[in-house]
Amino acid sequence: MLNFFKNSRKILGMNSRNLNYIRLYNHKKAICIADDKLLSKRILKKNDLPVPALIEKITSHQELENFDWTKLPNSFALKPNRGLGGEGILVVYGKKKNGNEAWIKADGSIVTLDDLKNHISNILDGNFSLSSVPDKAFFEERVRLLKLFKPYTFKGIPDVRIIVYNSVPVMAMLRLPTKESGGKANLQQGAVGVGIDMASGVTTSAVQGKKSHLIEYAPGTRLPLSGIKIPYWKELLELAIKAQRVSGLGFLGADIAIDQEKGPVFLELNARPGLSIQIANLAGLQERLQRVSGLKIKTIKRGINVGMDLFGGEIEEEIEEISGKRIIGSVEKIKLIGKNGKEIEVEARVDTGASISAIDKKLAIELGFDEAVKYWEDFHLDHTLNTQEIEELSKNKVWKELEKHPDVIGVAKIFSSHGASYRIKIKVMLTIDSLPIISKLSIADRSGLNYPVLIGRRDLKKFLIDVNKTI
Amino acid sequence: MKTSYFVDYFVSQGVPLETVFLILMLPVIATMIAFFRQVLGIKAFGIYTPSIITFAFLAMDFGSENSGIKYGVIIFLSVIFAGMITRYILKKLRLLYLPRVAITLSIVSFAILTVLVLGGSLQRTGLASVSVFPILIMITIVEKFVAAQIEKGNKTAIILAAETLFISLMGYYLTNWKTLSSFILTYPWIILFTFPLNFFLGKWTGLRLSEYWRFKEILKKM
Repeated sequence: MLNFFKNSRKILGMNSRNLNYIRLYNHKKAICIADDKLLSKRILKKNDLPVPALIEKITSHQELENFDWTKLPNSFALKPNRGLGGEGILVVYGKKKNGNEAWIKADGSIVTLDDLKNHISNILDGNFSLSSVPDKAFFEERVRLLKLFKPYTFKGIPDVRIIVYNSVPVMAMLRLPTKESGGKANLQQGAVGVGIDMASGVTTSAVQGKKSHLIEYAPGTRLPLSGIKIPYWKELLELAIKAQRVSGLGFLGADIAIDQEKGPVFLELNARPGLSIQIANLAGLQERLQRVSGLKIKTIKRGINVGMDLFGGEIEEEIEEISGKRIIGSVEKIKLIGKNGKEIEVEARVDTGASISAIDKKLAIELGFDEAVKYWEDFHLDHTLNTQEIEELSKNKVWKELEKHPDVIGVAKIFSSHGASYRIKIKVMLTIDSLPIISKLSIADRSGLNYPVLIGRRDLKKFLIDVNKTI
Repeated sequence: MKTSYFVDYFVSQGVPLETVFLILMLPVIATMIAFFRQVLGIKAFGIYTPSIITFAFLAMDFGSENSGIKYGVIIFLSVIFAGMITRYILKKLRLLYLPRVAITLSIVSFAILTVLVLGGSLQRTGLASVSVFPILIMITIVEKFVAAQIEKGNKTAIILAAETLFISLMGYYLTNWKTLSSFILTYPWIILFTFPLNFFLGKWTGLRLSEYWRFKEILKKM
């Protein structure tokens, strides 16, 4: 019980966010900048921070009447200046070819000039803005979806939300638009939030929607949401810190999208970042903020390093914890325990393309299986065969003969690009990443190959493979 | 009932006891609403709406011996229901805020009139005899409902309405609590305690009760 209350203090609640952070560090002037998209865009741009280029803005009904529509490019995003939660944003991908002024949306539907005028008129009337005050509309360059994010995204553009406090990026999440959110990257509307390890920029756990229930896969797919490496990670952190400095928001939620060609671009600055980011990361923000509070961060680089060091690095352990699986590389040191009790350590090739593991003849002999190897060799099967030969061997029940030897626990028919082979299997105890496994290894001549042992899928059930990992 | 010297004095000056009591109850109800928001995490439509509805409920009682609350709840629910229906009618029209609220108010008024007539035809004479001013007050809260619909969506607006109803009922029962009312009339100065209490609430930075639920996954994992 005591522990429960101690832990709950690590979480940032609404009361504390408002009183200790927003009220204290986000001054009215800075909040005004964040709430005015055109103004924040201008300030960011002036300070050489990347933003989607502004095409044109419409500030009154009169301007709307006199607007020159030919100025618009084929694709653009139309936004209300003080829009809330992505409401009122209209994105078109192309112009219709038949001469009339009409554009095409992501779902293929047509937006006519009248639709567009009507929409802008609604924006100007304040139908999408906070407290319905009259608003401005603007056109900006459309952010093009990064290929990496495509399978995870429904319409819309994902973005990375980074919380910056005292020049240190403290927490981040990737926000993915979903069907429920209608292509908007807003958790309140049903988007997915994926927690990010601050050191590596690799995603961890994920939540969906307002109720924030934990999910493992992108909605409607079998694509795991953990383990996505966010491109430009360090650059994103740097940009977020810079944005804090130029905006004056002491407690900032920076929303940065990644464009196919331009790379990171700021979508929005947020003076009242939501608290769900904590659930996406399964970590408390209060604790992180307190750790950073009072530090003297002079340079941006230092801010990045502090954030990365304090709030990341444990991703591997975390994934191991979440999945209950260990992470190994594509080449892994393993220990084999022979019949005679002899322990031999070798490097093994981890191969998810193979079903069963294989061991080199010579190594098997060293492990005390010399008799079994000899017995197999007497059948003259230790070479490449063709499919017909294998079929014949099966028909003649050669396996029955081979299994007569006490060390032979079975026969494996292996088909690979090099041809087929008819091998015996032996039972050997081995340890991968200090996890003991009783493996059934097929014996083969691997003398021409780099690694004497190959670990196949059957022995990899308790592992995840990280191809970047080296021994 | 034993009353304090101050209360006696007010009454002797011609202020009805009922009035003195209800005015003294307002800070108590306001503090309760602040407590519900900051500590429990029950939001409602701000502080004005739940307190005015509490008093509307209480006012309905005056005419109809403690059965007012029943009718109060019926009228509240009718107002919200009519507000919800109207949203669907007006959604496509994309109207400016005030005309939109005006239309909603008209439709809600018709709805309430229908409910009253319906109640009369079902021999529920109590419903129709409810004093009109609390009914009018309850009709106007539909504005808060429309504003919440626009800013936070229909679902949130309905949740907020339910929370408002809950808090108003709490306020109603608190005011009707005999022990508390006699206590306040005997020691009216205890109302001053709402100041330090609200000061404490205003500095309260702990998690709200609802947030323990919201962040349960993190707490489980820690």
